[in-house]
Amino acid sequence: MIKSQKEIAIELKSITKTYPGVVANDNVDFKVFKGEIHALVGENGAGKSTLVKILYGIEQPDSGEIYVEGSNVKINKVDKAIELGIGMVHQEFHLVPSFTAAENIGLGDEPKTKIGFIDWEKLNQDVSEIAKKYGLDLDPTLKMIDASVGTQQRTEILKTLYRNASILILDEPTAVLTPQETDELFEVIRSLVNEGKTVIFITHKLREVMEISDRVTVMRDGKVQGVTETKQTSPAELAKLMVGREVFLKVDKTDADPKDVVLELKNFWVHDSRGLLAIKNLNMEVKKGEIVGIAGVDGNGQTELVEALAGLRSTSKGEIIFEGKNIEKLSPRKRRRLGLSHIPEDRANTGLNLRLDIWENLIGTSYFRKPLSISGIISMKNVVKHSKNLKESYDIRTPGVFIKVQSLSGGNQQKVVIARELSENPTLTIASQPTRGVDIGNIEAIHKKLVEIRDEGKAVLLISAELDEVMSVADRVAVIYEGEIVAWVNPKEVNQEQMGLYMAGIKD
Amino acid sequence: MDKFSFKDVLILITGVIITLGVAWIILTVTGFIPGEIAKLFYEGAVVGQRNIVNTLNIATPYILTSIATVISFRVGMFNIGINGSMYIGGLYAAWAGYKFTSLGHISHVSLALAISIFCGSLWMLLPALLKVYAGVSEIISTIILNFVAVLFVSYMANGPFRADPIAPATPRILETAELKQYFPNSQFNTGFFIAVLVAFLTYFILKKTTFGYELRSGGDGLVGSYPSRYSSYLGIPTDRSAITGMLISGGLGGLAGGIEILGNARYFYQELAFNQGFDGILIAIVGKLEPLGGLIASLFWSALKNGGLFVDYKTDVSREIVVILLSILIFFVSAQKLVSALEKLSFVRKLDSIFSRRIK
Amino acid sequence: MEWLEIFDISLFRSLIRSATPIALIGFGAAMCSAAGVLNIGLEGKMLNAAFVGVAASYYSGSAMTGFIWGVSAGVLTAILFGVLSFNLGADEVLAGLAINIFALALTRYLLETLFKRRGFFSDPSIQGIDPIEFEFLNGTPFEKILSGFTPSVYLVFLLAFLLYLVYYKTRLGTAIRATGENPEAAKDAGINTLRMKWLVVIFSGVLAGIGGTFLSLETLTLFTEGMSAGKGYIGLVASSFGNNTPLGVFGASLFFGLGDAIGIRLQGVYELDSRLILMIPYALTVVVLILIGIRQRLRVRPVPIIEE
Repeated sequence: MIKSQKEIAIELKSITKTYPGVVANDNVDFKVFKGEIHALVGENGAGKSTLVKILYGIEQPDSGEIYVEGSNVKINKVDKAIELGIGMVHQEFHLVPSFTAAENIGLGDEPKTKIGFIDWEKLNQDVSEIAKKYGLDLDPTLKMIDASVGTQQRTEILKTLYRNASILILDEPTAVLTPQETDELFEVIRSLVNEGKTVIFITHKLREVMEISDRVTVMRDGKVQGVTETKQTSPAELAKLMVGREVFLKVDKTDADPKDVVLELKNFWVHDSRGLLAIKNLNMEVKKGEIVGIAGVDGNGQTELVEALAGLRSTSKGEIIFEGKNIEKLSPRKRRRLGLSHIPEDRANTGLNLRLDIWENLIGTSYFRKPLSISGIISMKNVVKHSKNLKESYDIRTPGVFIKVQSLSGGNQQKVVIARELSENPTLTIASQPTRGVDIGNIEAIHKKLVEIRDEGKAVLLISAELDEVMSVADRVAVIYEGEIVAWVNPKEVNQEQMGLYMAGIKD
Repeated sequence: MDKFSFKDVLILITGVIITLGVAWIILTVTGFIPGEIAKLFYEGAVVGQRNIVNTLNIATPYILTSIATVISFRVGMFNIGINGSMYIGGLYAAWAGYKFTSLGHISHVSLALAISIFCGSLWMLLPALLKVYAGVSEIISTIILNFVAVLFVSYMANGPFRADPIAPATPRILETAELKQYFPNSQFNTGFFIAVLVAFLTYFILKKTTFGYELRSGGDGLVGSYPSRYSSYLGIPTDRSAITGMLISGGLGGLAGGIEILGNARYFYQELAFNQGFDGILIAIVGKLEPLGGLIASLFWSALKNGGLFVDYKTDVSREIVVILLSILIFFVSAQKLVSALEKLSFVRKLDSIFSRRIK
Repeated sequence: MEWLEIFDISLFRSLIRSATPIALIGFGAAMCSAAGVLNIGLEGKMLNAAFVGVAASYYSGSAMTGFIWGVSAGVLTAILFGVLSFNLGADEVLAGLAINIFALALTRYLLETLFKRRGFFSDPSIQGIDPIEFEFLNGTPFEKILSGFTPSVYLVFLLAFLLYLVYYKTRLGTAIRATGENPEAAKDAGINTLRMKWLVVIFSGVLAGIGGTFLSLETLTLFTEGMSAGKGYIGLVASSFGNNTPLGVFGASLFFGLGDAIGIRLQGVYELDSRLILMIPYALTVVVLILIGIRQRLRVRPVPIIEE
């Protein structure tokens, strides 16, 4: 029997969406058939999140059309999407901690008794039934604060099912799960599909794509790079589509001439704020005179790694050896005094105090030293001199140093951070997403600066989700995946297919 | 907090105009002539030696409480308990005032004030520790301590510190503990100069010392925002700053109470009521959480209050109208959305940047 | 052990009367906190209501009119708070504080300007709200315990029960609680969080209004400057003590009321102790807050490190 043409569950045609400065979705076509598990794949910034936000009604496209089960619809708010049977499980759960699973699931739609009160018994029952039907093991009376992450996620999924979602969007669902929970999740997805649901699965983990999906759409830089049946592709191909450059942007630099080891991580483990392991048994070295890059999709432990190195997060186990000394137990300030500086990924809240002036931000790490202050009194004369010098050398575009940092552009704000951090002449600089939100001109300037200090014999650890940046600035690159280094590569020699595989967790 | 930008000045001026408009309406409706009242008001505030001096006297506790608020807000703690500190400081200043009998003038006053600072400061220790180590909202804990303070001082004035069996009050402080009053027709005393000194000291410390820098790196806005990621990242010990800030603000509150006792009342009695702790919060906001801003705003506030007292004395207009108007002004100034709405006007933006460039 | 003697019916009645305004405010504050609104301005609402209630009763000669106007004043003040906080973007705590100061000054001003009095206003033509006598209880032992209270007292008991139902058994209740704990989750579920916030603010305004008229028309028939005497703040404290739940607030109010009543009784007998006793509820609130705070912290349990 010839299988009849599969029905289309969702079709997005020519969707374009721009934000200031970036085209998030560029004429995107996206088609999902009923009853299939469709993987939507791409690096950070590829445009996947924007696309599903449009589908779920959180954002509106600038142009393009949306078809749900054949009808042209406008999804201008989330309610509409839910009405149409679309449900979404976000990466960060939206759960009420003190409520039970059932209370969360039924929120806003609880069944009522004749008098008008909530029928909790019926709710619990209904929830149990739905849970069983889809193979989601769940105790409806469990409070969310006491629940494991896996259970919380199942609650989120049940939320969509309770509202009769027929199309489920899962946004990076395995990011927070242990391997076992991931397997359980896949079981659930399979039984959902068996019951006629359609699943859109957003991920950057190619191994999972191969395991669970029927078809794949790969996005890069806001455009669709390819759509295939999973059976007919391979991780390598997907990787190529995902990463897809022939040539990485080049930065002018000579070869590195690394000298002594300045930083060593031994058997390094770090927990994240949820209690899960973000960094697992990491071992690596950074030498003076080189730029070591860490590449990887955001969320694989980079943030925690940087925080632990800087002293903002405790080391769960293992050693950090800086110039021969163990520093795992030292405070951020002590680490700075030893020569370690940190350009944080969150410029606005961590790296700067936006309400203070430029000079006040510039002296953040050196205010307690001569000549900026003498026995506790700040010498404004020296501070102004120092600030003006930094303004010059780092080319911070501003009429003066007495202006609030808030009024600077992103690029100039970042320069303030960098000026402050580098003015200490640190032996090791940890630069975390240093050019995020920075315009092209300043990106180049920042890269040049990093190479400059490398040539002066300093060390740089560069962590960036921008593959271009890491590959062109760093001398050697470690690819991080789920808290472990899966490969070391030479940027000049590795090919992009290989990079994509590594970044997706597929080791040699 | 934001330095004075053109926007702020504009808001303030607009607020003042609106408030004046409301005042005009209220007065006319209740049968008074606004022009006359305004004249009397002005006279009462700043005309004549007695009025000026009284204005300054009223300002003294406001200056201290507003600066106390500035300090605690800037370390990120939303401290509403300064009024309580005032009570405690006042009580113990009174106690020190009569307890130590063989001290010279300067040493007695200094000791009494030092004790009031110490006690006021201690009062803020518990909320600070609770917030830093147990995450307890400092808003609620300081409110609670306000009540406890009132109860406590009332109990003490009635009991252990009581002077004579009839009146529920402490003994009058000794002459050696008095803050000298200069004029026969006013209670204006040395306390004013102390307050102004504190204001400038605070300004200096916050702006020009490393200690002050650490204190203010953290709190970066109106609402208590302890702990600050920026400070931790720089390596500044935020819990130490927060606790220190709270202690200092409690100390200043205690000082305000102490000065009130040593300079004005000269003994602590049960019905003594302080309100300046609460007003100080509003004043600090108007002064944009800057010490000098607080100083100026306090003077402004007191001038208005004194003017109101004068008007009240001379006419049938109640003095409370001043506070009503001031609260309306506060409503206006605190309406953030109005401020951001103003930003949309291009002439405001332009004037804003010119203004800030002018301030060096 | 003479002090045990004070525990009699009269104390019980005094306790209930003291607890009532605290409970009224507390319920309102608890609802607001549950929805994520920190409503410090209840004191001001209460005060405005107390004054307007007396004024309206005086001018109209009817207690009912006084009551209605009084409660309306509370609601109007609540609307002011809402506009400031939600529409104009003012900080909630600041707005509440400013409203309290505003109300104190406004009521004093009107007291002087309208009634030409200072300190307090009392007049025989102010109609108070009379206590309700349940005749069927006459002669029974219950008469002394249950009968003869003014309406608001009974309202408090009713509210405790009703609010409990609403909180835990209606969609409205869960919507409010969700708005406070995780607005994102609430919005996901289609709940209009802004509307919820307005709802609780208005509701607390009504309750504060009733609390105000309770003070000025039910307990006594007069208006005193600053009549609310911090009860607005105490209500907030009670709601914290009771963890923002209806029954918790009810219990906390009784507790504070007890302290109040004992304090009043002991004032004649042991002058020392009354104030110290009054401090006990506050001290206990602090303890409760600490316990709650510690409980929030014991949440994250790190995954064990297993080296392979």
